[in-house]
Formats: sequence, structure tokens, C-alpha cells
Amino acid sequence: MILQAPRYTQQSMVDPAGTKAALVDHFWHFLITTASIVTAIVFIALLIALFKRHRPVEPEEPAVQRSLTRWVSASVAVTLVIIVVFLFTDFRLGRAIATVPNRTPLRVNVIGHQWWWEFQYPDSVPNNWISTANELHIPVGRPVVLNMSSPDVIHSFWVPNLSGKKDLIPGHQTETWIEADSAGVYRGQCAEFCGLQHAKMAMLVIAEPEAKFDQWVLASRATATEPADSTAKAGGQVFLTAGCSVCHAIAGTAAGATVGPNLTHFGSRHSIAAATLPNNRGNLGGWILDPQRIKPGAQMPPNGLDPDQLNAILAYLEGLK
Amino acid sequence: MRRERIVADVSQLPTVVYGMRNLVSWGTTGFMIIEGFSLGLCAVTYVYLRKNTAVWPPHGTQLPQLLVPTINLAVMVLSLPLALWTKHRAERMERGATRVGLVLSSIVAVVVFGLRLAEFASLHTQWNSSAYGSIAWTILGFQGTLILIDMYDTIGITAIMFLRPESKWYPEVADNALYWIFTVASWIPLYFLIYFGPRWL
Amino acid sequence: MTATARVETLVEPELDLELDAVWRNRPGFIGWLTTTDHKSIAKRYVATAFIFFLLAGVEAATMRAQLSRPENGILGPDRYNQFFTMHGTTMMFLFAVPVMIGVGLYLVPLLVGARNVAFPRANAMGYWVYLIGGVLIYGGFFVNSGPDAGWFAYTPLSGPEFSPGKRVDIWAQMITFTEIAALIAAVIIITTAFRMRSPGMSLNRIPIMVWASVVMSFMIIFAMPSVATASLFLAMDRLISTHFFNAAEGGDALLWQHLFWFFGHPEVYIMFLPGTGIISSLLPSFTRRSVFGYPALVLSIIATGFIAFGLWVHHMFATPLPQLGQSFFTAASALVAIPNGIQIFCWIATIWTGRPIFRTPLLFAIGSIIIFVMGGMTGVMIASVPFDLQVHDTYFIVAHFHYVILGGVVFPLFAGMYYWFPKVTGRMLSETAGKWNFWLMFIGVHATFFPMHQLGMEGMPRRVYTYLEGTGWGDLNLVASLGALVIFSSVVVFLGNVIHSLRHGAIAGANPWDAESLEWATTSPAPSYNFANTPVVSGRAPLWESGDELPVMTGLARDRQQVLLTTVLDAEPDSRHDHPGHTIWPFIVALTIGIFFITLIFSPWGLPIGTVLGFIAYARYIWPKKSHEPAIVELPRSVPAAEVPK
Repeated sequence: MILQAPRYTQQSMVDPAGTKAALVDHFWHFLITTASIVTAIVFIALLIALFKRHRPVEPEEPAVQRSLTRWVSASVAVTLVIIVVFLFTDFRLGRAIATVPNRTPLRVNVIGHQWWWEFQYPDSVPNNWISTANELHIPVGRPVVLNMSSPDVIHSFWVPNLSGKKDLIPGHQTETWIEADSAGVYRGQCAEFCGLQHAKMAMLVIAEPEAKFDQWVLASRATATEPADSTAKAGGQVFLTAGCSVCHAIAGTAAGATVGPNLTHFGSRHSIAAATLPNNRGNLGGWILDPQRIKPGAQMPPNGLDPDQLNAILAYLEGLK
Repeated sequence: MRRERIVADVSQLPTVVYGMRNLVSWGTTGFMIIEGFSLGLCAVTYVYLRKNTAVWPPHGTQLPQLLVPTINLAVMVLSLPLALWTKHRAERMERGATRVGLVLSSIVAVVVFGLRLAEFASLHTQWNSSAYGSIAWTILGFQGTLILIDMYDTIGITAIMFLRPESKWYPEVADNALYWIFTVASWIPLYFLIYFGPRWL
Repeated sequence: MTATARVETLVEPELDLELDAVWRNRPGFIGWLTTTDHKSIAKRYVATAFIFFLLAGVEAATMRAQLSRPENGILGPDRYNQFFTMHGTTMMFLFAVPVMIGVGLYLVPLLVGARNVAFPRANAMGYWVYLIGGVLIYGGFFVNSGPDAGWFAYTPLSGPEFSPGKRVDIWAQMITFTEIAALIAAVIIITTAFRMRSPGMSLNRIPIMVWASVVMSFMIIFAMPSVATASLFLAMDRLISTHFFNAAEGGDALLWQHLFWFFGHPEVYIMFLPGTGIISSLLPSFTRRSVFGYPALVLSIIATGFIAFGLWVHHMFATPLPQLGQSFFTAASALVAIPNGIQIFCWIATIWTGRPIFRTPLLFAIGSIIIFVMGGMTGVMIASVPFDLQVHDTYFIVAHFHYVILGGVVFPLFAGMYYWFPKVTGRMLSETAGKWNFWLMFIGVHATFFPMHQLGMEGMPRRVYTYLEGTGWGDLNLVASLGALVIFSSVVVFLGNVIHSLRHGAIAGANPWDAESLEWATTSPAPSYNFANTPVVSGRAPLWESGDELPVMTGLARDRQQVLLTTVLDAEPDSRHDHPGHTIWPFIVALTIGIFFITLIFSPWGLPIGTVLGFIAYARYIWPKKSHEPAIVELPRSVPAAEVPK
């Protein structure tokens, strides 16, 4: 069975969907044009130098040396001018992307773990605090300020279609902001080597129109959906007794651990294992039975569930919408 | 192959010279620059760690005691005239006086090294208690290895000047005195950093 | 190897035989352990570095095989992390710097007209320490205990909590070994270049390769202590629970990055500047004119050496550092292009007014300019913080630094190999194989690394053991992996060329390229004593200026290893110095250093044991043999005449 990848925009900095990425993409065009012209000039000069026919009889005589001095000096001067123009443009761009637009930004806390992303949506009302993992919902057209840290090693938050990256450093609080111009699902990936599964520590940023985003917030604040049938209910029991609750939390149940991702609304997620696989029965079953086959070295151990237990827990998790 | 035309004869040039005319002094100077810069990096680390935190030393850590370290500093500074005197005697190739200077310098080096070992207790913290303890111990230890190296070198040259006192060793004695001056000079700012840094920074 | 050719029409016959008896290596295996001949030691450095280059190349080829398809199964994450760490560590610490040190140690005495380096025993010891470091880390790698936290070993990942076991400890100690060797070589090169030059070789007549080696050496002296300090702190955090990088007890993960990159950025210029020296050295032979712009070239090398120390934060743009500080480093990182550009413009000017001779050294030099310019362009781009925040830690950066390193270090190195192989061995390398070598490598480099620019911009991060099918990165990765095979084949051609030419290459003679500099004044290979009589120099191109007759000074001792010391600025004859000759004690002291640091990885007993053994061995190393008396003594000018002993 060919498992569909979750549908998202291919991660790329030259396909911007956000303000910051768009500015940098524009700058990139200026950079590559300038660089290509300069490189071409240097290469042409080199080729001419190598293959020209007429050469001075006395290459080290003063007149020749003076002429060369003038040409080299002129080249250095031109290089300096280009660099100064580059610096001016760059500093202005730097200020632009560092400034958070003053349009009531949304604040999200990002906590990096080996090897998954924790996203918290803080609220003045403690009950409204949302904790989710690996999928970051944001409203389109509103800046999102990310307050970031890591309890283990250095990670780096990077969604190239939206913005440049920023590191998450143990012992430090770092901050960045992103903003999506259009709705869509954008893939991001950890961009600082963080150990065995650095390669599979990705995330999805789901940008939705403001109204849909508000709906998502409301739904996420709710405690977990009650299991619909007996199989799912049995699954809820398996969850508590087979060891899952040692690491995972599901709001409204006895499972409250914060070691691993919060699974309260897991059924609504597009992907599993930090955007490694689509969230469907087959993948989820394989993941639960042996995460090490998909992400060797991951913190989640294999689980010896018999087929009934597995079936039940899958039904339960699917229902956590 | 080219013919050669002799234009000068160097066989009367001296073979024993002093200061930076002496080849070995370049090696010693290189070593001093490297170690000095490394100590500088440790000092920068100390200030960096201090600026990174609100409380220095951390809660529960006493300020370092000043008695033993200050005695050691005094011994080091007071030994500088001895080093210079030994250097001057060596520059005049006075064998007896040079030997005296070297024996005294060896004793001084041993005393200072011993005092340095005692100094660790004055820090009132362990190397593994906190970053503060780690950097303080490291600076003491690192600079302490310079004292150890000087002690080793001085005793070695003393032995050579008694057992095989050839003329080529007099510049080495002068060089060794200079190294002791460097060892003391490198310590002075670090002394203030370690013992007064927690009080002033 | 060929026997030493006799110098023709000597003013004094038999001089060469007398000198050879004093200077040549002892025969056999013992000769191998006791040599203090800079040429023997330098050849060792280069050969050992090349072996590490090949090992790192195999690591790279394996990584490229793994990455050629998505979700490939050749290397799992643990193995891959060891492989990429070993590849970077080997290339940076065990290949690039040691090979340039070796090239410098071989050439500097010959270029300045000296018989040996300033500190021959230390030179020997330095090599053994380097070898011990390399053997240590590969020993660890081969028993699945190779370091796996990257060549840059960021904390806290490399700290005790997240990298248990001995892997990173082995890495940290290897740093110590290679750093000691580099520092020894640096002090040696500086002293040799400033005190042992031929009479008449004033500062403005010093060959550019010597300037490049000197600046490299100064940079080593100020950069290496930083990584040594960092690795000392890391080793202590891991072994005795200090807290330099532990935020919970007042430490800081960023401290590591500052200390590491303060070394790490100059490190790449340490590798690159000798590369520029090599190009400036060989261009005259293949353009039939001295290189244009000597003062500009020298000042550019020196300026680059200084500026290189002001760039390190550009590796840390994604960390929380103040914006104003970042702007300084952006400006410096962009402006370093100026001195680099000056060198390139001067080379083009040289070629423009010269008469190019298209032999392999020139081909590699041209290839180096092309590749380095491309790498330099992306270098200026990533000086920009906003741009860097997108491409940092992606394959765009991998592309950038491979372009500048291949262009600025590897291609000049190969050019130098083809250029100086005749001087070292007495035989020429094959031109045909050389051209194959060049073209395969040139094409291979572009095929492998150009696609990586695109991969980075398409979001592929670095240091990943695999990637998902859906990312679409498979095609370009496959191209890059195929390119790696082309590079691999070019290296095979090179090795074949070397092996074949050692036995069957054309006899070179003293100066097969009709070159201008002093190393070509002596035989190929040079005799053990380099020059029978000390050449006298009156310009920058001694062999082109002296015509048929080389002025020399005579008078150095013939019955012991004696060298001439000259003054720093104008190279006037100043004094004579006796070297101790061949001895096994540098090897023994190096062994005790090895015991000291390796034991410390596993037990604190290393400290007392190693110290005691080291002190004993060093005492034997330094204990004087009976020196030649009477010495001619000159007391310092500060001693008044009245106090001078009779």
C-alpha cells in the first residue's frame, strides 16, 4: 500500500508564503544577479589572460606595471563599491525582518525536544492553555511571535517558506516571528544537529483564515473527546495500563505526563512522528508497535501489544479529534 | 647547475649570543605568547560567565579567602629582583654567582608551587560545584602548570650549570629568568580576577 | 629514491661529502625514528595527511552513497553521525592543516636558503604527536567508538548528559594532539623565517610562500589555544563534572560556540593562505614573469590573517546575539573579500602580461581560481544575516565551504604536488595523467557540489542521515553522489601517477621548470644539508637575477650541524648555531605526551604518570651533549664594557 505523504507545500526558501521569506527571496534575486555578473567578468578576464595573443615583450617594465596597478586598483574599488551597496541593502533588510509588525501578534511557546516539537498557546486563563505537538496552527495574515527554548540540546526552528531560522538553546529564551500570507500547510525541519533523529524532526505549520483558526483554538481547549464505542473505550484503558500514560498526556483523563507529545487531539493531526509519516491506521500501528524501526534512537520504546489491544488503542486515538 | 662565487666567510661569527639573538629565546617567547593568550581566554571566559549570571559567586558559595593567595603573590613579586639579578650575572658569565642565583630561584619556584597547591582551598568551592568553581579552579590550575614548568626548567638548568657549565648555557639562564618574570606577570592580573572579581565585578 | 647528485663545479671539492656525512639520516628503521631533517619530517606530514585525506574521502563516498536515495539503508543514524563527524574532523584537523604545515616545513628552509628549521628536535616531536592523535581517533572509530557529535561538537549535545561514553572524549583529546603539533610547527616556521634567511633576503625579498606560511603560523598561535581551551573545558565537563557548558549551574552552551568559532573561522584561513602562497609561487614558472603586485599580495595575506579573527560570529547568526554586534560581523565577513580579491586580481594581471605554459600545475591553479571565486561569491551572500538565517545549516553552506576549500586549499595543494614533486623526489609526474587528474577533479567538484546550493534552498538541512521521499531531494542528491565518484576516480589517477612516477618518472634535474626561487638552486632531491654554501640574495627572484653564478657565503662548520642566523629585518649575518643532530628523544617524549593525554581519557592517573614520564623523557631530550668549545661568545650590548669578563 502506497502511503500518501501529508499534503503540504514543498519546503523551499525560494517559494515564499510569508513576509520575511518573501523579502529574503527578493534579496536573493539581487544577490544571484550581482554574483553572476561579477563572476562572469572575472572568468572572462581570466580566459582572456590565458588565451590572448599579444603580450608585452618586457612584462615587468615600469609602464606595464603601472598599467596593471591601475587596473587592479580599479577592480578593487569596484569590488568595494559593490560590497558597500550590498551591506546597505542587507542592513535595511535585516531591520525589516527583525521588526515584528504591530498587528496584535499571536504568542506561541516552542519547546524543542529530542526529536519532536512542543507548541504551547499560552492564555491568561489557565484552563485555556493549549499544548500540542509537531503541528503549529497559525492564523493567516497575523504575525506569530515564537518564544523558544529547549530542555535538552540545541535545536533550530525553521520553516523556509515563511521565515529564516532561529536556534532553541538550553538555558536561553530565544524569540522569532513568522507570518503566513496565504493559507496552506508548510513543512519545517529542525536545522541544528541534535542527535540520532535530527533528520526526522520535522513539523507542519498549518496556516488558516482567522475564523477557522479561532475554531481550532476553541476545539483544542476542550478536553479529549469521549470514546465513541466500546472498542475505543477499551483503547482508552489500554492507553492507561500499557505504559503510554507514562509519557503522554490526554486532557480530561488520568494521563498527565509531559515527557512526550500531548495527544489530546491527536486524531486531528495530519502526521505522526514529527511529520515523518501520514497519520493513518497503518502507519500509527507500525509506529506504536516499534518506533525504533521508523526512527531508530527515538525516545519511545517498542510496545508489545496483542492485536486486540492494538486495534482498540488505534480506535481510541483516531477518535481524539 | 650554477657556479658559486664566494663573497664572504662567516666562520668568525659568534656561536653564543643572548636575548632575541639567541634562537632558543624565540621558542620561549612563542611559548609565552601561546600560554599567555590561553590564560587570556580563560580570563575572558571568567568575565563571560560572570556577565551571564545574576549572582557571583552563586548562592551558598563563600567569597575566596585572601591570606594564602596574597602571601603567594607577595613571594612571587619579591622574587622578581632575584630573577633579574640572576639574569644579569648570567649575562656577564659569572659562574659562581649564576649558580647561587639558580639555586635560590629553584627554591623559590618550589615554594611558590607549594603555596599554589595550598591556594585551591582558599577558593571555598569545588571545581564541580558550579561554573564559578570550574573556572576559578581551571585558572589556578592552568597558571599553576606554568609554575610547575618553570620549576622543572629552573631545577634542570641549575643541574646543568653545576654538572656541565658550558658557555652556551648562560643565555639559557637569562632566558629562564625571563620566563619566571612572565609567569609572575601573567599571574598578577589573574590574582585580582579570581580573588577580587567576586568582590568587585 | 635517487642518490644525492653532486653539485657541479664546487669552489671547494669534497665539501658535499663531508656535509652529507654530518647531516644525513641514520640508516634503516632507527634512522626513521631519529631523524631531525626537516625534509624527512615534512614528507611524513604530507604523506600522513594524504592518508587521512583518503580515509576522509572514503567516509564522504559512503555518506554520498547513503544520501543518493531517500530513506536509504547503507548507514543508520548512529553510523552516519560517526561518519560525518569523522569526515569533518579528519579533513579539518588531520588533513588540511597538517598538510599545509608539511608543505611549509619542507619549503621554508629551502626558500630562505637555510640548512634546516630552527628547532629540528621539536619538529620531529610535533609529527609524532600528530600521528598519535590521528591513530587515537581512528582507533576509536574502528571499534564503533568514533565521535558522533559533529566536527564542531556543540554543547550540550557533546556534553556528558547527551553523549555518554568515550566517543567525544577521544575527539577532545585528538584536538589536543593536533593542536600541540600545529603550535610547535608554527613557532618553528616563524623562527626559521625570521632568523635563518639567506644574507640579503630582507623582508621585502621574502618569497610569498614564506609570508603565507608565517602568517598561517601566527594565526595558529592565536587560534589554536581557543579550541584547546574549549576542548579542555569540554573534557573536564565530561570527565570531572565541571559546569562550563551546563546552564543549570551557571554555565552556558553558547560559550562553547564562541570559543570554538574563534578558532574555527581562522582555521579555514590557516588552510587557505598557504594555498594562495602556492599559487603565487608557481605562477612565475608558468607565465615567465615574477608575480605582479608583491607588496599587495603580502599585505593582503597579512590583512586576511588579521581580519579572519573578526568573523567568527557569522557562524552564530541563528543564536540570540544582539543585532548591532551581528552587523559588525556581517561587514567584516563581506570586507574580507577585498584582500582575497586583490590576490586574484594580481594573479590575473600576472597571467595577462605573462606567457602561459599549460602544464598541470597551472591547470590546477586556474581551476582553483575558478572554484574559489564561486565559493567566495556565496561567502559574501551568507555574510548577510537575513540570507544566512535561511541557508544556515543547510546544504547551501555545505556547497559554499566545499567550493572555497576545494578552490582555496585542495586545488592549490594538487598544483603544489605537481610543481614540487620533482624537487622532493628528483622525478617528474606524468603530464598526461596530470591532465586527467585535473579534469576529472574539476568536473567532479562541480557535479558534486553545485547541486547542493539548490538542495539547501529547497530546505535540505545538514547532518541528516536520510530524507523523506516526499521532499523531492532525491534527484539532486543522486547527481551529487555520482559527482563524488568522479572525484574519487581523479584521486585514484593521482595515486597511480605518484606510484608510477616514483620509479619511472623522467629525471627532473635541479630546476626543471626554470623557476626563480632558491629551492631550485640545489639538487633534486635536495641534499641532506640543503645548501653546501649559504646563498646570498639581492632580489625577489634570486635565480633569475643571479644568472650563471650564484654568490654564496662560506664558513659554517663541516664537522657538526651548524646553521647561520641572520638579523630579522635585513638578513645580515649575525651568529652561528649548532643543532644537536639526529636523536630518538623527540619520539620518546611524544610517546609520553601520548600516554599522558590518552590515559586521562580513562583515568585521572594519567596526570601523575604522564607528568613523571614526560619530565624524565624531556630531561634526556634536553640534556646537552658536550658542545664544541671554544665557543665565540658575544655578550648583550646592555652589558657595559667594564663588566665583560676577560
